[in-house]
Amino acid sequence: MMTNVLVNAKDVTKTYQTAKVEAKALRGLTLEINESDFMAIVGPSGSGKTTFLNLVGALDTATDGSLNVLGRDISAMSKRQRADLRLHKLGFVFQAYNLVPVLTAQENVEFVLELQGIGDNRFNRAREILDKLGLAEFANRRPNELSGGQQQRVAIARAVASNPKLVLAAEPTANLDGENAEVLLQMMRDLNENQNITFVFSTHDPRVVAHAKRVVTLVDGRISKDETKSQTKSSL
Amino acid sequence: MMLSVSNKYAMRSLVRHGRRTILSVVGIGVGCGLCLFMIAFVRGESKMMLRAAAESGAGHFRVVPAKWNETRENDLRLIDWHQARKLVASVDEVEVVTPHARKEVLLGFGTRVAGVEMVGVDPNTEQTCNRLARSVVEGHYLDGEKGTTVIGKTIATRLKVEVDDELMLTTAGADGEMAGAMLRIVGIIGTGSRDLDATICQVNLQDVEQITHLSGAGDLTALVKNPKKLELIVKSLSAKLGTGYSVVTWEQLMPELASGAKVDETWTRLTVGIIMIVVFLGIASAQLTAVLERRKEFAVLSAVGMKGSRLIQIMVYEGLVLGLVGAIVGLAVGVPSAYWIATKGIDFTKMYGTDDMSVSNILIDLVFLGDFGWWLVPLAFALALTATILSSLYPAWYAAKIDPAAALRVEH
Ligand SMILES: Nc1ncnc2c1ncn2[C@@H]1O[C@H](COP(=O)(O)OP(=O)(O)O)[C@@H](O)[C@H]1O
Ligand SMILES: [Mg+2]
Repeated sequence: MMTNVLVNAKDVTKTYQTAKVEAKALRGLTLEINESDFMAIVGPSGSGKTTFLNLVGALDTATDGSLNVLGRDISAMSKRQRADLRLHKLGFVFQAYNLVPVLTAQENVEFVLELQGIGDNRFNRAREILDKLGLAEFANRRPNELSGGQQQRVAIARAVASNPKLVLAAEPTANLDGENAEVLLQMMRDLNENQNITFVFSTHDPRVVAHAKRVVTLVDGRISKDETKSQTKSSL
Repeated sequence: MMLSVSNKYAMRSLVRHGRRTILSVVGIGVGCGLCLFMIAFVRGESKMMLRAAAESGAGHFRVVPAKWNETRENDLRLIDWHQARKLVASVDEVEVVTPHARKEVLLGFGTRVAGVEMVGVDPNTEQTCNRLARSVVEGHYLDGEKGTTVIGKTIATRLKVEVDDELMLTTAGADGEMAGAMLRIVGIIGTGSRDLDATICQVNLQDVEQITHLSGAGDLTALVKNPKKLELIVKSLSAKLGTGYSVVTWEQLMPELASGAKVDETWTRLTVGIIMIVVFLGIASAQLTAVLERRKEFAVLSAVGMKGSRLIQIMVYEGLVLGLVGAIVGLAVGVPSAYWIATKGIDFTKMYGTDDMSVSNILIDLVFLGDFGWWLVPLAFALALTATILSSLYPAWYAAKIDPAAALRVEH
């Protein structure tokens, strides 16, 4: 089977320039993310995990090197073009504050569809996605009426609403207890296997690492290890 | 159409911070209501001043001999005042038109004399045009009888005369010779203003013609139904009357009154502007707080692909809702107070303890009434919406600038 490369990073560096200090967050990172990867990026605090996710997610641009995401050269794109890429082609799950607090689960999903310019059908489409992910009962609840785990599952529903090829998740399980983390990871794993959605996590969480098919370890802005497991937790 | 999620988001964000929203709305409402009240008062006042000026003899406009503009001589007469009067009266917008012929005269009784500007009038129309002529306190107004006059109370007191006394009138005739006549007093006019009452001496137009040997009227004074249309009326009349006649407006006749009205208007605008700027700053700061509180929320939305333009749209929509509700509160505050000032008014007799309410020969009303009308509604919305929409722009711009990468960063 020919693997499809979704993200191609070559010698990527990222230097944060603040008034006084210069922080070299990434120091020449070369990495390919393949279609249907289920990949965890791990490493000590400050090693550049978040920075790398920001770049792959087209939230920021690299200082140097080349970064290609879904066939697009990120550094050559305008702010607006990057926003469009995120809106139509990428999904995001964050550690917290994922959902708009004044909107119901249903409306949170609809919101992304509306931003994509989907008009009439968006109510049904949002409902369908929630149904499929087993979240129908939460549709009319607002985030403060959902547990942390339920909120994260709705966030995944929102992230995949636009049928993205690639979903980026920043510490998605950090605030969850064991059981909820398990449910969440299982849900992503299902999407990965059944719908061929590629997941990339930045994480400290050994539970995520246990589920990951591929684990990339960053140290000081460089890749120190890149292992692909033959067996993961869910296939045990 | 279904309310979009963006608009639901905006609405519910306002509801979520109910207390702040209510304070904002009350702020807009009170500011807006205050402005409505002020504008209602000043509009009423300037309308009233204009009406008072026009009805104190000046009219909204006058038709005068073309030469009058240069010399302002009382001896000038219109070419054909009957013809001109017909023409002016035929204009729909003209309420009433009445002729005048003026002459400086000396009134004498026994050993006492008083100088005054005698005005020849048409008794049939003068009273409808001139509120001074309506203020007869003794005797009656002119009824067309030859050789009769009505004079102001101050003159009567000075000359020690009463109704039915005969006044000796002297003046310079057209030829420069002294001319004279006897006039019987039929009425005394008391306007309530001693100064004004010292200036009034009205006779029949025909008597002025006879005494001065100048035939006809020196001016036609007219009131119009709607002073706002004055400029148009004057323009078309000037064209119709042709050369030899000139049409002058109250603004040209009483420039100090016109500039007084302008000053009032400027002050009102300035005050309204200051109030609205204060409201604007208040809303802007409340809206900016609302943005700062939602920083993380906006960063997440921006990260999932919401564009700055959409964020601005949402913030402006919030401003729009604040403005609409604020305008309604403003009307709730402004309409009753404007209604009060329009019906009860402010009574200056009590305030100054005087009954002499004349300003540069204008008999002004003792009670200042505000203006009231449908115009309050669009004005309220215009004021409130301008303030709130403008004040959401900076917070919106600030929100649009929030870095989406912040969504991924968490405080550990
Ligand atoms: N916006 C920023 N401005 C300045 N320095 C930053 C910024 N973001 C990250 N850094 C620095 O870059 C390095 C990598 O940070 P980060 O990517 O957040 O690492 P991790 O997610 O692995 O903890 C750190 O030294 C951090 O202090
Ligand atoms: Mg991090």
